Amino acid sequence: MSVKEHDPLTGHQTTGHEWNGITELNTRVPRAIWFFVIVTHLYALVTWILLPTWPLVTTYTKGILGIDQHEQVAKQVVAANVARADWADQIVTMPTDEILGDTVLMSRVNATAHQIFGDNCAACHGRDAAGGPGFPRLIDDAWLWGGDTDAIMETLRVGINSTHPDTRYSQMLAFGRDGMLGREDIRIVIDYVQSLSGIAPSDTPVSPERISAGEEIYLDNCAACHADDGTGDMEQGAPNLADQAWIYGGDKDALFETIWNGRQGWMPSWETRLSEVERKTLAVYLARLGQEATQ
Amino acid sequence: MFKTILKPFAKLFDFQARTHYRMERHSMALTAGIIVAASIGGFVEIAPLFSIDDTVEDVPDMRIYTPLEQAGRDIYIREGCYACHSQMIRSLRDEVERYGPYSLAVESKYDHPMLWGSKRTGPDLARVGDKFSDDWQVRHLVNPRNLVPESVMPQYAFLLETELKTSDMPGRLAALRAVGVPYTDEMIENAENDMKGQARPETEAADAVMDRYGDDTAVRFFDGRRDRVTEMDAVVAYLQILGNLTDLAQTSQPQAEE
Amino acid sequence: MMSNLTGAERTTAMTIAGFGALIGLAMAAAGHGDPMGVHGWIVLAFFGVLFFIVASALYSPEPVEDRALSYYDDPTKVGIILALIWAVVGMFMGVWVASQLAWPDLRFEGAWSGFGRLRPVHTSGVIFGFGGNALIATSYHIMQRTSRARMPGQISPWFVLLGFNLFCILAASGYVMGVTQSKEYAEAEWYADIWLVVVWVVYFILYMRTLSRRNEPHIYVANWYYLSFILVVAILHIVNNLAVPASWTGAKSYSLFSGVQDAMTQWWYGHNAVAFFLTTGFLGMLYYFLPKRAGRPIYSYRLSILSFWGIVFFYIWVGSHHLHYTALPHWVQTLGMTFSVMLLVPSWASAGNALMTLNGAWGKVRDDATLRFMMMAAVFYGLSTFEGSFMAIRPVNGLSHYTDWTVGHVHAGAMGWVALITFGSIYALTPVLWRRETMYSWKAVEWHFWLALSGTVIYVFSMWNSGIIQGLMWRTYTETGTLKFSFVDSLVAMHPYYIARAFGGLLFLTGACICLWNVVMTILHVPQKAPELDYPTSSEAMEPALPAAE
Ligand code: HEC
Ligand code: HEC
Ligand code: HEC
Ligand code: HEM
Ligand code: HEM
Ligand SMILES: [Ca+2]
Ligand SMILES: [Ca+2]
Ligand SMILES: [Cu+2]
Repeated sequence: MSVKEHDPLTGHQTTGHEWNGITELNTRVPRAIWFFVIVTHLYALVTWILLPTWPLVTTYTKGILGIDQHEQVAKQVVAANVARADWADQIVTMPTDEILGDTVLMSRVNATAHQIFGDNCAACHGRDAAGGPGFPRLIDDAWLWGGDTDAIMETLRVGINSTHPDTRYSQMLAFGRDGMLGREDIRIVIDYVQSLSGIAPSDTPVSPERISAGEEIYLDNCAACHADDGTGDMEQGAPNLADQAWIYGGDKDALFETIWNGRQGWMPSWETRLSEVERKTLAVYLARLGQEATQ
Repeated sequence: MFKTILKPFAKLFDFQARTHYRMERHSMALTAGIIVAASIGGFVEIAPLFSIDDTVEDVPDMRIYTPLEQAGRDIYIREGCYACHSQMIRSLRDEVERYGPYSLAVESKYDHPMLWGSKRTGPDLARVGDKFSDDWQVRHLVNPRNLVPESVMPQYAFLLETELKTSDMPGRLAALRAVGVPYTDEMIENAENDMKGQARPETEAADAVMDRYGDDTAVRFFDGRRDRVTEMDAVVAYLQILGNLTDLAQTSQPQAEE
Repeated sequence: MMSNLTGAERTTAMTIAGFGALIGLAMAAAGHGDPMGVHGWIVLAFFGVLFFIVASALYSPEPVEDRALSYYDDPTKVGIILALIWAVVGMFMGVWVASQLAWPDLRFEGAWSGFGRLRPVHTSGVIFGFGGNALIATSYHIMQRTSRARMPGQISPWFVLLGFNLFCILAASGYVMGVTQSKEYAEAEWYADIWLVVVWVVYFILYMRTLSRRNEPHIYVANWYYLSFILVVAILHIVNNLAVPASWTGAKSYSLFSGVQDAMTQWWYGHNAVAFFLTTGFLGMLYYFLPKRAGRPIYSYRLSILSFWGIVFFYIWVGSHHLHYTALPHWVQTLGMTFSVMLLVPSWASAGNALMTLNGAWGKVRDDATLRFMMMAAVFYGLSTFEGSFMAIRPVNGLSHYTDWTVGHVHAGAMGWVALITFGSIYALTPVLWRRETMYSWKAVEWHFWLALSGTVIYVFSMWNSGIIQGLMWRTYTETGTLKFSFVDSLVAMHPYYIARAFGGLLFLTGACICLWNVVMTILHVPQKAPELDYPTSSEAMEPALPAAE
């Protein structure tokens, strides 16, 4: 059936075939199509000349611009470092107090810290640095290893119980699990520990004898780390037990878990992940948040 | 002007159309044409990736996954984590500044298949190893919203309850060796013990893992449980090795400093 | 249906089903304790049911009239129904996973209902279940009509259709159990992959044999497209799924390639799954149903040639645009980018060819929702290919990659193009296939059209918005030259768009349900009407292939 016909509407010839009622016109390819064929091919051609493109068995054409994606980003990163160098250097070298007073530098800190803290720290310490079960609050005066900038910078650099070779190391022993204290002894010392921070020891008042029995156990087992008065020891990262700040909680269950199974919080080291400027920025940022929280 | 440029093309195409008109009467000609036209591009793009040397960087100390980590990787695949997480830091300034050095080809050299991903509903995980603690990873997987209230990631609490199946690991390592991962006979034979050992630091099996896979191997109670080795151990062990198989990226790239 | 098979054919069918059931039993025994064992039981049940369906009709009357006088439409009918069932299932899964991203607790306790496991059920369900069944069914219809020849075998069309559905079932049930190779759009494990190769080879032979019986010297364009779909999908599938099973009695396997080579192979496959599954097959559908419905000749045969070969040749090169800025060598990325731009021309040529075909029939487009489905599909096809070529340009992809923008692009193509052309074709096809006067309810078709269109528009616009916001937030710098937002900030910004998307999807799903209902009602309640001239013929005067008296 190859009788070529004319389509009455357009006047174009058909190809002369019919498939179950469908016919085709033999219309010429519109010029616009050719135009775009040429444009896109020219674009491709130029790109091939400029950029690395064609494989040649063991190598490839490098393109006359000599661009390589890895070199490009390396350049950008270095350029960005240079662009930030003026204030970045100041942040590293200036003491925190001065930075806190310097509105220009503080605007840098504020602009920078939100993202670094959000992508690295917020997962544990919360978006507002207020901590959570197992993760200390960073905006109060209770510190494990010290709250001045140097101490914080060191904590950030090496981490706590982390994989860093110089890591700060601390451990709350597992007195119950490892058989150093029995259940009852632990319950007694818990009452004592709660009395240190003035937590109302539930509904039933604790007898003074029990408290002093607790004190005895405490002095024998705990004071080496948490100090005789329970105020902790920043040399070993042992927390103050006489304040209201708790990492794991000050209720009886949490305390029992702490003393029975021990604790060993893991704070990652940020030395390779964050630069010194970034770590200092965070330290200053935490100092600012701390100031705001106490006001 | 355009018309004159076009003329030779139009002529050529006329010729082509006429040839086509004859060819389209033969289904085998059509078949052959399609196969030829559709093979060229793939061949030109894929074959040279095997023959051009600098496609994959040369790193002699590139580490392979321990059986426990590989088991974790298998679970990562099983659960479809790759549907939300990429493992490919692109060579773009913002990615390098957010996630760390851009990913190198060698870092997924032993990944059968690769898990570069195509969607970031969650953050990139190429360098998540050692970024958080084991305990954080466990708690996050049990319920992400306990730690990150805004998260839309599913809960994987069952990982903590499911004992890790070790019996099929020798077969898996053998299959991986068949596709090119350099596991030794010894590694394959001891795969089951090595899996348990890596998650039980106090046992002798733990030392054996270090002997076979290097002293840097992380041997820990990944899931915090001392009584048994769970799927959680495997997943966390895997997450903690991401980005740590070689340090070439860290040592060869300029680091962002803000 | 069974009455169209002779006794011998029924026996063959039973033998095949029995053999399949045995394989299922073997898998169940060997894979005990592994998800593969569960798959064994599914295979056994699948073939068992088929076996009994055939067995129960083994001695029923055999066909009396000469079957060569009519087209073989039974498999097409079943294929269309299956496509619609998969559409409802797959899109329901889409709405579910979309809702999980807005409300993450919208799931059951079990591991199976997590986002990572359900997402591939959606993608495979709609692409392979819905799209694949529609392609197979329409290809049966079109190859017979445009060849004026009946399909050669009675069994092989069923083997292809049902075998393909078994593959889909194995894939989807596997994902829910955590059986996956993780390669996007090729997630099914090794034994399902091997099975699909068998099915596909039979499909190709069936197609070629039908073409060789044709009574029309020239092969119509739609068939070129279907042929490229069958051939290239076979090549892609085999290469990308090369893997070594960890054991012959378990589901787990490891891809033959690793790292960069694996990534390139995967996206060579992945992109061309888009090209040769979601594009060329459906262009075949468009090239048949649109001119047929519009009653107009194809605008330009020459344009068809240009766009067909352009698509077949250029598409294969562009997979690397999924890997811009990655560890894949820069040179491959340049190839992917430039070829994607060149690809735009043949793509638009085919969209333009379709739209220009409607010249002289715009009145029909206005009045006939079925034709409007096809017209809209061509528009979305043009739109998504333009967008795709744009996104393939490296710096643009730097922004769009990994974000919801990609998802928006996907669904402009998948919902706007693939699903709309399929629905249009189904509405055009149903009355012809079942010999009905008309669809049960034209009003429902009209409703479906507007639900589908508004669903797509809501979906795509919300994903454009969220994707671009996401991409920009990830790279926004403060004046200080440091990043402004954390990842979680961007996550929070997505929430409203995720809700909007789920709503758009719900509209679209509602439309699909209406379509299924309408087709079923048409079959059940609309009076019969035999169309004229719908039989194979070798005569120019359109008489049956053999005189009826013989
Ligand atoms: C994997 C969870 C995790 C991440 C992420 C994390 N931390 Fe910590 N951080 C901890 C834990 C746990 C401790 C307490 C360690 C302990 O209990 O001994 C801690 C302690 C600290 C301390 C010491 C507090 C003190 O009282 O001395 C500072 C300061 C700190 N984190 C700041 C940060 C900053 C800044 C970041 C982000 C760069 C960060 N942390 C990221 C878990 C984390
Ligand atoms: C070897 C030193 C050491 C000894 C001995 C010790 N602790 Fe600790 N304790 C620590 C360290 C270090 C931490 C912090 C652990 C962490 O944060 O991961 C800690 C944490 C605690 C906490 C949790 C504080 C909070 O904020 O949640 C309590 C309660 C506590 N110890 C009580 C005791 C009691 C009671 C004893 C004696 C029975 C004791 N500790 C003995 C080192 C010690
Ligand atoms: C529905 C998408 C989704 C799936 C599936 C998913 N995640 Fe996530 N993931 C997220 C989102 C969103 C975040 C960011 C918020 C948060 O930290 O929870 C995230 C964060 C994470 C993080 C912290 C990364 C960082 O740098 O802050 C890890 C680790 C992680 N996911 C691991 C996994 C693993 C392992 C699986 C599979 C077992 C998984 N995810 C499955 C969405 C998902
Ligand atoms: C009812 C309508 C639909 C809804 C609600 C829906 C929803 C979704 C969702 C939520 C995702 C995951 C996106 C992500 O990970 O962020 C997705 C992915 C996908 N959907 Fe749909 N979908 C629908 C219809 C379709 C149709 C009809 C098709 C194809 C014919 C389709 C094909 C796909 C594909 C290919 C992906 C993967 C995209 C990618 O990986 O980039 N969808 N869909
Ligand atoms: C000229 C035609 C097209 C080009 C050049 C093109 C290009 C692209 C690009 C650049 C991406 C993003 C890749 C990334 O950043 O990850 C993409 C993704 C995608 N496109 Fe297209 N596209 C085209 C047409 C289509 C059509 C018609 C569909 C039909 C459904 C489609 C479906 C998809 C899918 C499913 C993805 C997601 C792949 C994934 O990441 O899972 N594309 N396309
Ligand atoms: Ca994807
Ligand atoms: Ca597969
Ligand atoms: Cu693509």
